[in-house]
Formats: sequence, C-alpha cells, structure tokens
Amino acid sequence: MSGDHIHPAPTSFLRKHVFSTDHKVIARQFMWLGLIWLLIGGGMAMIIRWQLANPGLPVPLLGHLLWPRNGGAVPPDSYNTLFTMHGTIMIFLGLTPLLIGAFGNFCIPLMIGARDMIFPTLNMLSFWTVVLGAGVAFASLFVPLGAAEGGWTAYPTLSSTIGTPGSGETMWAIAVFLIGASSIMGGINYITTVIRLRAPGMTYTRLPMTVWGLVLTAALNVLFLPVIGSAMILMVLDRVFGTTFYVPASMTQGGAGDPILYQHLFWLFGHPEVYILILPAWGIVVDLLSFFSRKPAFGYKVTLGALVTVTVLSAVVYGHHMFTTGMTAMLGESFMLLTMIISVPGEILFFNWLHTLWRGSLRLTTPMLFAMGVIFVFGLGGLTGIYLATISTDIFLHDTYFVVGHFHLTMAASSLFGAFAGTYFWFPKLFGRMMSEKLGKLHFWATIIPLTIVFCTMFISGWAGMPRRYYDHTDSAYLRPLQHLNVLTSVAAFVLGAAQLIFAFNFIKSRWWGAKAAMNPWQVGTLEWTLSSPPPHHNFDTIPVVLSGPHEFSHPGLKDRDWLPQTEAAPALPPGAAAPHAAPAGTRA
Amino acid sequence: MTSTTSRIAKPGALAASVALALLALQAPAAAFMQEGPDRWGPNPNASANGGRVDTLFWVITALVSVSFLIVLLMLLVTVLRDRARPGVKARYDHGSSLHDKRFTAGVSVAVFLLLDASVLWITMHDLRETVWNIPTGTQNVLRVEVLAQQWAWNFRLPGADNEFGTPDDIVTINHLHVPQGRPVVVHGSSKDVIHSFFVPDMRIKRDVNPGAINKVWFQAEKPGDYEILCAELCGFAHYQMHGTLTVVPPDRWDAWQAEASHIAQATYDENDTEARWAWDWKE
Repeated sequence: MSGDHIHPAPTSFLRKHVFSTDHKVIARQFMWLGLIWLLIGGGMAMIIRWQLANPGLPVPLLGHLLWPRNGGAVPPDSYNTLFTMHGTIMIFLGLTPLLIGAFGNFCIPLMIGARDMIFPTLNMLSFWTVVLGAGVAFASLFVPLGAAEGGWTAYPTLSSTIGTPGSGETMWAIAVFLIGASSIMGGINYITTVIRLRAPGMTYTRLPMTVWGLVLTAALNVLFLPVIGSAMILMVLDRVFGTTFYVPASMTQGGAGDPILYQHLFWLFGHPEVYILILPAWGIVVDLLSFFSRKPAFGYKVTLGALVTVTVLSAVVYGHHMFTTGMTAMLGESFMLLTMIISVPGEILFFNWLHTLWRGSLRLTTPMLFAMGVIFVFGLGGLTGIYLATISTDIFLHDTYFVVGHFHLTMAASSLFGAFAGTYFWFPKLFGRMMSEKLGKLHFWATIIPLTIVFCTMFISGWAGMPRRYYDHTDSAYLRPLQHLNVLTSVAAFVLGAAQLIFAFNFIKSRWWGAKAAMNPWQVGTLEWTLSSPPPHHNFDTIPVVLSGPHEFSHPGLKDRDWLPQTEAAPALPPGAAAPHAAPAGTRA
Repeated sequence: MTSTTSRIAKPGALAASVALALLALQAPAAAFMQEGPDRWGPNPNASANGGRVDTLFWVITALVSVSFLIVLLMLLVTVLRDRARPGVKARYDHGSSLHDKRFTAGVSVAVFLLLDASVLWITMHDLRETVWNIPTGTQNVLRVEVLAQQWAWNFRLPGADNEFGTPDDIVTINHLHVPQGRPVVVHGSSKDVIHSFFVPDMRIKRDVNPGAINKVWFQAEKPGDYEILCAELCGFAHYQMHGTLTVVPPDRWDAWQAEASHIAQATYDENDTEARWAWDWKE
C-alpha cells in the first residue's frame, strides 16, 4: 500500500473546509453539526421540563418570543411538537452524527492505518444528505399547523392525516428518510474501509474495540435503516397519495391496512437503533478503560463475541416494545425470552469492564471518568430493562415515565457519556489542542449527579403510574399527588442542562485557545497517536506495519514506559513474569 | 483553608445555590398544585390480580439492587485501591486464558439464572393464571365494550338482556360501572387513533387500536371510584382523556344495572346512529 499515490491536499477554501472529501474534515463537520443539534434538542427538553413542573406558566426568556398568543406558555399542540422533535433531533441529528459520523469518520481510517475512507466522495455525500435532512426537519417547524406532533415513534393513525393533518408530519417522515439514507451510505463506507484498508498486520483481533463498535453499528445501519426508510415511504404514500397501508378498513372507503404493521416496521428498526447508538459508545469504553487503567482490555475476544452477539440478537427482541398492542401469548413470551437472553452478552461486557479496571493503575482523567460513568449509567439503565422485558410488570409500566427513565439512561445518557469520553479523548488529535481537564472534571460531576436524580425520579413517577407525553399531569386527580416528583425532576434537569454549558465553553475555548497538544498526550499505542496533532492531510506518509494489539499496557518486558505502540512487537515476557491465571502448558495464553 | 479546598468548594457552592434558586422558583407553583398528600408510588392495588404485579416489581427491585450494588462496590474498590501510584505497575493480564473464559461464562450463566430466569419463571406463571387467562362465559362475567375516540371513552354494558346492540345497552361516556368481586372482560377498539386503556389502581393496560378488538380483564375487589387514563399518545388533548371507573358493591349491583338499563331503554333514540356502535362479541 505504501506505493499508493498520495492525493495532494486541496487548496481552495470550498474544497478544503466545505465540500471536503477528507475524512478528518468530514468528522469535524459531523461533530459541529451533532453538537449544535444536541444544544437545540437539549433546549427543547428544558422547555418540556419547565412545562411539566409549572403547567401553563410562561416559559422564562423564550416564552413570549415563541408563543406570544398564549401568554408565553407552551400550548398543548406545541408541547407535543417539542417532545416529538426533541426525540427525533437527539437521536438522528445529535447522537448519530456525533457518535457515528464524527468518531466513525475520524477514528476508522486513523486507527486502522489508512489514508482516508475507501469512498471519500460517498463520505461527503453522506454528510450533506444529513444536512439536507436537518434542513427539512428545521423547515417543518415553520409550516402551517406546525411540525410533527406524533411522537418520535409516530404511530399511525395519529401520524396519518386523520391525527396530524399538517404537512409537518410528512416533512418529518422525509427528514427521517434522508437521515437514514445518509447512515446507510456511511455504513457501507465504514464496513468496506475496515475490510479493505487495514494496514498490514492489523488483523481483526488487533483492531481497537472502538473500530469494532463502529463496524457493528455500521452493519446494523445498513441492515435496518432501509426498514425505517420503507416505513417512512409507506407513511408518505398514505399521507400524500391516499393509500391505506396503515389505515384500517374501518376508517376508509376502500383498502384495508393495519396500524400495527407500522409498529412492527418501526421497532424492527427501532430496537437495533438502540444498539446503533450504544455500540460505538461501548467500543470507546472498552478502549478507554484499558488505556487509562494502563492494563490490557480484559478478555478482548470474549468482549468482541459479546458485542457481535448483541448485534445479532438486537433484531429479534423488538417485540418487547409492543407487549400492550394485543400480541398473542406465544409471540409475547417468545420476545420476552429473547430479551432476557440479550442480557447475557450485556453481563459479559460489565464483567470484562470491571475486570479491566481490577488491579490496574487508574488515571482518572476526564475521558476515563466518562468511560466509568458509562458503567454506572448503563448499569442503572440496563438493570431497569428487566422490569420492562417482563410482560406482567411491563404492562403496568409501559408508556409511563419508567420507560422514559430507562431508555434515556441506556440509549441517551450512556451513548452521550461515550460521546463525551470520546470527545475529551480525541479532541487533541481532532483540533491539535487540549481541552481543560479541570473544566472537564467539573462537567463530569455536574452532569452525572443531576442526571442520576432526573432519571431515577422518573423511575419512581413511572412506578407511581404517571403516563408519558402528558402536557399537564395535574389535570388528572390520580396524577396530581405526583406533581412534586415532576418538580424534583425538572430542577435536576435544569442543573443538568446548565452543566452542559460548561462543556460548550470548554469546547469553544479549547478549540481556539487551548494548550497545543503533543503527538501522544495520553501515552497510548493506537496508530492515530503516532501522527502529529492534528494529522496531515494524507494521515500516514508510509502506511504503518502493525505488530501488536491495541491494549499492550504495563508489559513486564517494557522498562522505561508502560505502553507499546501498535507498530512495535511486544517484547518477550521475562522469565517468571507469566500473566496470572496462565493457561496450562501447551495451550495459547 | 488551603487553596485546593477553596478551588473545589467554589463550583459546588455555585451549583448548590443555582439549585436552591431554582427550587425557590418552583415552590409557589408546587404549593398551589397540591391537593392531598404527595405520593411516591401507585395507589394500593384494588384488583384481584394486581398484587402479583406489585410483588414481582419488588422481587425485581431486590434482585437488580443487589446486582447494581455489586457493580458499584467493584467500581469503588478499583477507584480507591487501584489509582495510579508511582512505582506500581498495573497487572499485565489479557484475561484470555481458558480459566478466565470459564470464569466469565460461569458468572454470566449464574447471573442469568438468578436474575433473568427466576423473574421469567414468576412472570410466566402469573401470565398464564391472569393476563392470558381471560374468563369466558356470560353469566358470572361482566362484559364491557369500549370504543375510544379523541378524547373520550365510550363504554357499553349489555344491560338487563345481557346482549350487545340492543336498546337496553347501558352506554356511557367517560364513566364505567362494574360490580365488585366479579371478573370484568373489556373488549376495546378505537374510532380514530390508537389509545390505551389504563387503570393504574387495577394494574391493567391495553392498547385499543382502530380496526381491531383488543381484550383485557380485571376483577375489582374494593368499591369506590378509580381513574381511567389514556396511556398512548393520541393528540394534543391526550392528557385530558381520563374517565372514572366506579366499582359498585355486589349487593347494589343488580339494582344499579336494572335502573340504568331501564333508563337506557326509555331514552333510546333509533335515529341516533352515533350511539349504535356495538359489535358482535367474540370470545
């Protein structure tokens, strides 16, 4: 590969910074896009929490600007728009671009020793398709009758013209379709790049786990985004051309569709989507826990096996979202059993994470804190999944705040923590400057404490019977005595929201005024840290030859340092320094 | 006080004062909302089978609490004991030996059996005896048809003749009467969008879909009024779609039913097509 032609760096501003095919530039574009939309989506969450704690009171600062005719308070239909767009934005325009777009683009070529993605133009198209989707989603906020109001799940017939007559819901479906198309392009690119462009010696078991997480996510994207794309096409056909794929015979003159068909299509995508967001975070966590405990990742192949198992099973558990739809007993019990089984690879991951930390030499840097935060947050979220996998408790808890707490901890907070860990970790390589550690640690503690309060309070209110997607819980006599829980959740949520400004400040300040980053500030061995910060346009002058795994820390044969670049072979173990629990003689350790 | 402590104390104090200020802002609103004591859980179960849901909830809570505490404890031990110290190297261990793999597999299977399999066992038992086991017949069982719409619950009881679609059907909006101590089987559908029939006090919930009929049953054990909520997003007045479930003591049920059925027959309007939405009852 070293004889390959190196493309010269582009010189015009447009080709360099806007329509760039350089994976590092596209990664930074995805990162800015994701962060800006996270801010918008997070702001919507703040308004939602304000309304729930103070039903009908004017929203401070923004209220009179946004809803002048309602005295500055959120009207009920706008409230539905807010939570619909909050979910859509956070998932499709915040976390997806940040975790998959930014880290996928940045890490894959650098970590496998490639000069760029295998399809650079497709890569650029993938970014601009998201921009187009984001534009459609944003424009939908300004159409007559308002933006989508059917929830991010958009169940027909509420998302049919009978429930949401405006064009906002149609534009929502088109936006989701476009963003899905972008993810498919990215997925094809990631998988092909990893198969074709690994540096010599970069075997599949020497790949950093970050790359594995991203590849498995890419596989899910390629397999299941077409499902949601099809569901969206059928929805647009129903809404615009009068077909009845999702509209039952009882409501139409001719034709007989079924609203439950949509729920199957949606969750066949929707459950893998949870893993699409969490797999890259898990991969990052595996690597960072090893990097900052200066210890090899415990059970690399077993962890990898668990990640692959989760990926395969993710498609066959989706029915647990539909236990109350009236599915048959046999189908329900099958989905319940499969859901319980998917917890086994999850347990293995936890076991190996904790075992990686065990007897390590922990450096509690900001990326490490966030990686350990994933263990805490995903622990809470994953364990509460058992209540929801169990049909008899799920029937009571379904569509209550218990579910809201559960999925925010698993797919939202855990993914976001993974994204924060990755941002703090790769920032020096992305922008050539260090982020402030002091502000980073403050951000961590100011995030994890209110976050725990917010979502654990939601478990209590959900168990107390509080349904989600209610504009005003005090309208119901049963729910009025639970209002104090809403207030508690909201106060913690405001602190949580304010804490993110610390991150925004740190990010902006460090981007332009941070301390210049050295080549390898964290002292780790993966290939991107053998390059300057930021790396040159073509990454590697000569394609490196990989001689060891990504997690060779504290090797007894190393004298002056405790880390080993992947371009160096591991030295021989000194006599008597065999690893604990060494394999019996004659087998490979 | 050293400079280190004051540096750490500052952001904490700032966060605390922000939180206090926000709490103060919330206090008046919260005070004016309150009626009755604050609740930290659901109202006590009022149905024959809801207790099983409560029991299983607390069984799972106990199991996951222990699991989470173990994870927390391990995190705490590593943070306190294994922090980087000069001269101390981490253990060089890839965890790839056969011994490690057996250990990992053993722990995972043990956790699955203790946590998931035991819960699975209980819920399968419960489901077969309660949720899936919908009572049949027409004599002891009270049959109810529910037709949901944006944003109301239409209820239909078969009346004195125990037949649906006859003039003596007791048709009500947002108010359902059922007898105490008898199984109530609800068949539900919807006129427009998907709704979900949720009675928290009875620990039941079932989506009602347009174009289909879904079934759910319960047996109320305590007389009184309970709230019916909609649990599936159904438009901007979703939060206002609540009704009342009145559980009538058995000794007063026959009199109530006879009177209500009589009034229904007396006021039956043949031209009111809106009121004639009953369907054939299929078990």
